Amino acid sequence: MKKTLLVSLAVLASSAAAQTTIKINGYAGQDNTIYPEMINRFVRPQVPGVTVSYQALQGDYNQGLTTLLASGSAGDLFYLPAETLDTYIATGKVLPLTGQVSTAPFLRNLNTTFTRNGKVYAIAKDFNTLSVIYNKDLFDEAKVPYPNNNDTWSSLATKLTNLKRALGSDYYGICLAPDYARMGAFAVGAGWKPFGTNGKTNLLDPAFQAAFNWFTGLTKDKVGIQPSELSQDWSGGCLGTGKVAVAIEGNWITGFLKDNAPNLKYGTALMPKANTTGKRGNFIYTVGWAVNAASKNRAAALKVLNVLTGPQVQQYVLQEGIAIPSRTALSNNAFFKKADPAAQNAAAVFAGASDGNVVPYTFGPKGPDWAKPINTALAAALSGQQTPAAALRRAQQDMTALQSR
Amino acid sequence: MFRRGQTATALLFLAPFLITILVFFFYAFARAIYYSFTDYNLFNTPQLIGLKPYLDVLGDSLFRRALANTLVFSIVVTTLQTVGALLMSVALNNKIRGQSFFRSAWYMPSITSSVVMTLIFLWLFQRRGVVNYLITQWLTYQPVILTFLGVMIAAQIVQVLYERSRRLPAKWFDPALAAMSALIALAVTLGLNFLGLVGAREVTPYDFQYFSDSWISLGGVRLLSMPLLVVVIMNTFTTIPGLMLFFLAGLQNIPGSLYEAADIDGATPYQKLMNVTVPMLRPVTFYVVTVSLIGTMQMFDQVAVIGSAAPQETLITLAYYVYTNTFKSGAAPVNMAAAAAIILALIILLMVFIQRRFFVSPEAQ
Repeated sequence: MKKTLLVSLAVLASSAAAQTTIKINGYAGQDNTIYPEMINRFVRPQVPGVTVSYQALQGDYNQGLTTLLASGSAGDLFYLPAETLDTYIATGKVLPLTGQVSTAPFLRNLNTTFTRNGKVYAIAKDFNTLSVIYNKDLFDEAKVPYPNNNDTWSSLATKLTNLKRALGSDYYGICLAPDYARMGAFAVGAGWKPFGTNGKTNLLDPAFQAAFNWFTGLTKDKVGIQPSELSQDWSGGCLGTGKVAVAIEGNWITGFLKDNAPNLKYGTALMPKANTTGKRGNFIYTVGWAVNAASKNRAAALKVLNVLTGPQVQQYVLQEGIAIPSRTALSNNAFFKKADPAAQNAAAVFAGASDGNVVPYTFGPKGPDWAKPINTALAAALSGQQTPAAALRRAQQDMTALQSR
Repeated sequence: MFRRGQTATALLFLAPFLITILVFFFYAFARAIYYSFTDYNLFNTPQLIGLKPYLDVLGDSLFRRALANTLVFSIVVTTLQTVGALLMSVALNNKIRGQSFFRSAWYMPSITSSVVMTLIFLWLFQRRGVVNYLITQWLTYQPVILTFLGVMIAAQIVQVLYERSRRLPAKWFDPALAAMSALIALAVTLGLNFLGLVGAREVTPYDFQYFSDSWISLGGVRLLSMPLLVVVIMNTFTTIPGLMLFFLAGLQNIPGSLYEAADIDGATPYQKLMNVTVPMLRPVTFYVVTVSLIGTMQMFDQVAVIGSAAPQETLITLAYYVYTNTFKSGAAPVNMAAAAAIILALIILLMVFIQRRFFVSPEAQ
């Protein structure tokens, strides 16, 4: 009796040891339903003997991940948002992947985004850039030509002003959130670089000032309006109300419009070109897969990572309209050539990654605090509480204080 | 004298409390002091760097805003809730019908979780919320309401003067006459409305954004932001009932003979309040003000729940500043959070010390 018990215990123990478990930390919401399904469908058959569990972090993802990393209980694999990349590398908890994973199949811009000091720290899961999404009906009604790929800042502003003039007080040209994530792309188009050679940020750079003045100047005569003024929290919401003609957003807007404004006829144009440089500006927003440096199952984690960034999974991501995949090979995919507005938007967003001045959307070593002075200045100037010049001076002071800390 | 066995037993019974205090207060406090002099960022091995974290914190404009917000919030709310709780407890201490019902009813707000209260207030003060709706309604029906009130006051004055001319003792707020005045006012208003002389008017909907970057300024200095004012109203509303209980307990201890003596001297209710109740309640007031100061200086939950619904500068308090600097993405300036926490603790200590030194009566000591 005692012997059988011991034998069965030993069998149980050995089977538990053979079964490696890989824990993944990622976003909640949509990803929490998609990824468990993808793991079942693709990872399980390709990586036998490994159990993979997807654990979504509710609430603020960055805060959640930081706490888990600090307490040593983070997953073996986790999402690494590009904007907070530097602050995570500083923790020493992100495993450099150079030599462990091949980066060749992925878009070069995306690999550069996750590279610091010659080491790649994550493989891009998927990405997004910005494009101009417009409400066709409003432009038709105002008899103003649609925004197009040749627009400059001034021609776009003229179109928006004419539209506002034609449609009257209940309608607006463009929705402008006081957010670096949108305004910054214009500054980049004008030739501004978020971090100078010394790592410092110059908000008084003429290129940044020009973009700032153009962006905040759109609120004159209510051509541009803040989302909060329409009881919305982002410009996609504004576009969904049918009262705003243009929103600057990424591919995530198509899913939102499908669910919330199914009858809205929209089109997509590339970002307008800066008057001075004649180039478009854009941000690459991306999230990568990173491996926990403290993981006890490093080999298994790398296998799972390879499947999750593999061609099969990426094809699935694209077909399901989840995001724009990060593999170069998928750039000629038939999906991009479809005629429906969502596919055209996806094509514009894909093109945005390599057209004009494009930089990764990152905050640098100070983390999200870095964008706060800019956002505060934008809020003050957009609401008319401060002149753009005064708002920028104050922002530069705060930026200098932050970066010299 | 204590015997040895007794001390051991006492310590044994106190142990759960003492251990909790040692671990979660003294140990944590000592660690915070240590971290505030290091370069700790949650992941590295701390190295002493002297006063730099304190200088960084003082040089951070967000910290200065948080400090100003906290002090303004603390002073305004402490004043409002102390006065409010005192008046409410005096009102509830009277022998009125249904006294226990009112006591429970007025205590309700402080039972409700502050998170729920904040969500309700967020809903009330939205752009298209109840408050803006009510203000719009008031603006729409202003002519009707003002006509009604005007006629009612006029009718009351005429009636009282008429009664007095007949040498009858009529008071200005006589309920019987007031009822008559109300009826007259209603009839007049309805009549004018029927004739089309007075009626609801077209107004543009009142559209104030309570959770925006708007400030009450004094001489160009930003004093109190609109979102913080909403939190002030909410906090006062929810904490008055709790503090009211302390005052009620204090009121029970005031000898009735003092009021009788005051009555004999012919004191008015106001004189009794200011010359008997308030002085006799001084020890309780000291306690209430101290508790209230500490509570308001550490205010956090409302700000955290409102979160990004309002611009950060308008709402940030010291406790929230400490929180945001500790829980960041990746390496976080925990040393600055610790320094800010120590500064907050010192300010609270100083405030309580000043209050104890200058404002407390001998009875409280």
